[in-house]
Amino acid sequence: MSAATSQLQSLLPRESLLWIFAAQLVVLLPHTMHLPIWLLGAWAVAVYWRLEVFRGRRETPGRLAKLVAVSLVVAGLVLTYRRWFALEPMVALLAVSFTLKNIELVSRRDALLSLMLAYFLAATLFVFEQTIPYALYGIVCVVIITAALVAQQGRGSARPGRALGLSTKLLAQSVPVMLVLFVVIPRLGPLWAVPQNTKAASTGISDSMSPGDFSELSKSDKPALRISFDGALPPPEQRYWRGLVYTHFDGRRWSEPGAADGYPRWGRGRSNRRPFGDTSGDDRALPAVGPRYRYQIIQEASHNPWLFALARPNSETRGVRETGDDTLVYRTPVGTRLAYDVRSWPRESVGEGEVLSGSEQRRHLQLPASGNPRARAWAKARFEEGMDGEAISGALLSLYNRNFTYTLKPPALGADTVDEFLFTTRQGFCEHFASSYVFTMRAAGVPARVVAGYQGGEWVDQQGYLLVRQYDAHAWAEIWLPGRGWVRVDPTASVAPERIRDGLQSAAAEEFMQDAFLPLHKIAFVTRLRLQWDMINYRWYQTVVSFDNERQEGILRRLLGEISPLRMALFMGVPMVAALLLLLLWLKLSGRGPSLPVASRLYLRFCRRMARAGLPRNPGEAPGDYARRIERELPRLGPMAVRITRAYEKAAYGSDMLAEKQLRRLVRGFWPLRHTRQAQAQT
Amino acid sequence: MQKIISAIVADIGKVLLGKEHQVKLALACLLARGHLLIEDLPGMGKTTLAHALAQVLGLSYKRVQFTSDMLPADILGVSIFERESGQFRFHEGPVFSQLLLADEINRSSPKTQSALLEAMEERQVSIDGETRPLPEPFFVIATQNPLQQSGTFVLPESQLDRFLMRISLGYPTRDAERALFQGVDPRAQLAQIKPRINTEGLRKLQSLVGQVKASDSLLDYLERLVQHTRQSPECGVGLSPRGALALLHAARAWALIHNRGHLLPEDLQAVLPSVAGHRLQSDGTDGTQLVERMMHQVDIIAA
Repeated sequence: MSAATSQLQSLLPRESLLWIFAAQLVVLLPHTMHLPIWLLGAWAVAVYWRLEVFRGRRETPGRLAKLVAVSLVVAGLVLTYRRWFALEPMVALLAVSFTLKNIELVSRRDALLSLMLAYFLAATLFVFEQTIPYALYGIVCVVIITAALVAQQGRGSARPGRALGLSTKLLAQSVPVMLVLFVVIPRLGPLWAVPQNTKAASTGISDSMSPGDFSELSKSDKPALRISFDGALPPPEQRYWRGLVYTHFDGRRWSEPGAADGYPRWGRGRSNRRPFGDTSGDDRALPAVGPRYRYQIIQEASHNPWLFALARPNSETRGVRETGDDTLVYRTPVGTRLAYDVRSWPRESVGEGEVLSGSEQRRHLQLPASGNPRARAWAKARFEEGMDGEAISGALLSLYNRNFTYTLKPPALGADTVDEFLFTTRQGFCEHFASSYVFTMRAAGVPARVVAGYQGGEWVDQQGYLLVRQYDAHAWAEIWLPGRGWVRVDPTASVAPERIRDGLQSAAAEEFMQDAFLPLHKIAFVTRLRLQWDMINYRWYQTVVSFDNERQEGILRRLLGEISPLRMALFMGVPMVAALLLLLLWLKLSGRGPSLPVASRLYLRFCRRMARAGLPRNPGEAPGDYARRIERELPRLGPMAVRITRAYEKAAYGSDMLAEKQLRRLVRGFWPLRHTRQAQAQT
Repeated sequence: MQKIISAIVADIGKVLLGKEHQVKLALACLLARGHLLIEDLPGMGKTTLAHALAQVLGLSYKRVQFTSDMLPADILGVSIFERESGQFRFHEGPVFSQLLLADEINRSSPKTQSALLEAMEERQVSIDGETRPLPEPFFVIATQNPLQQSGTFVLPESQLDRFLMRISLGYPTRDAERALFQGVDPRAQLAQIKPRINTEGLRKLQSLVGQVKASDSLLDYLERLVQHTRQSPECGVGLSPRGALALLHAARAWALIHNRGHLLPEDLQAVLPSVAGHRLQSDGTDGTQLVERMMHQVDIIAA
């Protein structure tokens, strides 16, 4: 019986339950983007059950029911994911336990547990997304969860306005602390690596190129890279962001074996292999002269390991390394936004005296055994005319220049793609040009390769960065010239130079983004708005998301001079102590009410001195009564006390200015302790 | 002026031995144009005090003994048809006097009680659609036996509020009682009291009350007292603004009696139990005790 009553007393009231459910719903909603949708259904069932229990229509589920529910849900997870040790199943597990807790949500303790879990679950959202909308949503979550916590206090605290108001106030007060912690808390690397979901569709440049790939990309205006420069900016025709090199051609598709895995085997190319993160043991001497570009690239999630940079890059960012193909890769597929710093030496300034090894030569001359006979014949003819690599390239480019059209919608190609493109359709996109160019150069015995990446970008002046979008994706070629090394050749440039100079939008004005549901890119205002939004995003990423150890140290060093435990302690402690002192002061001042009139202050001084002499005034004792008591108990001080009291009464209650002066004089000369001591000495 | 006041107090003191404080309170109440409720056991001198006050102030005095079968007309008066003149003539009730002693007010029915209390508040009587002003000054001294007596109708709080002060006389001191035994019969003394002041003089005294100055420091103290009654969990109901004003006014009268042109905290403290005691009754506890405790808790000089 007693147990039953105690349980009844601790039962959650209706408002508390509703608040908890609201907080749960708010937290779970965005997770449905990543987690199986049936989770929300499970949650709804649990909530319904709990409400039925609240109405008294159903019993709280027994052990068997709970067991069944748990096994159902776990089975659901297993069936959905089929593997355990990845991020999403783990978050899903957390969400599921959070959901199931509802059916045994009985006491206040359970409510608090559920809400604390809600905070945690809200935080896991940022594992998936760290953009501004999610951050704002995260704030909303925290406000609502805190309001739900507030609502647990009972006594009208559950009223929505009051709970939300208090919660907002609390959180607003915590903002300074949050900022300090944001700056100060050490950025630890992850203690354990949770595999991210690699099934997510990769976006952008893929590890192979077949006809049509790039025209697909040209339909997307999503940002791909944001690049900020430290110093000089390369001119537009130099802005080739190299991502991937394709060396293997199977007659239709260009690809790079091993590229998708981040080049696990390093049996080729220049031996510049070095361990991840090791920046000291750099065995390749970096050229000390020449125009060098320093820039930071913020890359959107691509779910591919390759990174983008100008030719001859060097990066000291952790996890980034260079490949033998003069590109950069990351140690894992880029699952979230990634920022990396790069220095580049344009090829023109270096490269003399480099030799292509035999295996490299073979790799870059690889062609399928058969197919495209006309292109081969054309190349062979040029070769037999005695032309060197540069001359053949020139002849081919002038061929493009004379007869070819640049279009986003080329006609479909049959089996011999290069032949058909070169001699029949003669309409194409960068990939057609690059592919046919490299094929022909190889057929003529010149080592060549296709490079995929981005070209150009929109310079955002206000924030000073280059915005590269998916439709800036581009493919071009590089050929090996003895004595000059790898030389970039962009066959597209000889057909549509405006593509290189001004970007895709002007090169293919009519066709650009034709399939878009709404031709928003044609409205200047919307374009500007989008650019603004992109700038805000860029700022956000620059200041918040990419705030890592290094930046933290930078800021602290600027603030503190050096980073020592003492200074850190001071940096954190001093503001905290100052804030507490201010609070104390404020409490004291506000608690004291309006300041006292002069006469009262003088009289209080008199009272303090009397208290030291052993006769304190009681709070409710009127001055006259106090004087009489002094007369009675300390007759020696009596006359003086009476005079002071009279003067005080006149000053404070009769508004007599003269009496105030008299009071001041009297109190100044009134030292009861000395008085009594002298008196004792006399006796 | 001060002479007159001390003479008045001394004169009453001859009849009501050893009750100087209560006499002064009664006088202060009268000077502050308030009505007085005396609550005590029978035979403590309630009637004597009222009678002496009337005598010494030269007021017309009437006394009504309240009973349970009394009707409002018994107090207010009644219109009677006179045969010789052939019309109704209003016969004034006892309420048409300058000092009315309403003895044992809690014995009468609420109907009669409220008729009197209404007259006290309005200082006029409406009968048969005609409004008749009461004499000036008009002063009611009501007495009642302690509340827990059978056959009484307890005055509700709203009506208690009509009385500026509630005092009780209490037993006399030993010396006073001995003097009473030895001296002349108080009733005989009562007859010898001569008026010390006329109505005009009394009115002037009353107007002087308003001129007693209250400084900011004192008003601060008053405010603290009032706030304490409103915030302290001990008090069921706090002091109303009317109650606070009554307190201030009574304290002024008290200061005048003590020949001061300004208020002192002592003045407030002196009248506080009588003025606030019956307004602060909270469940079971006697208001006077509450006030005593409050006086010790609220600091006079600073919060």
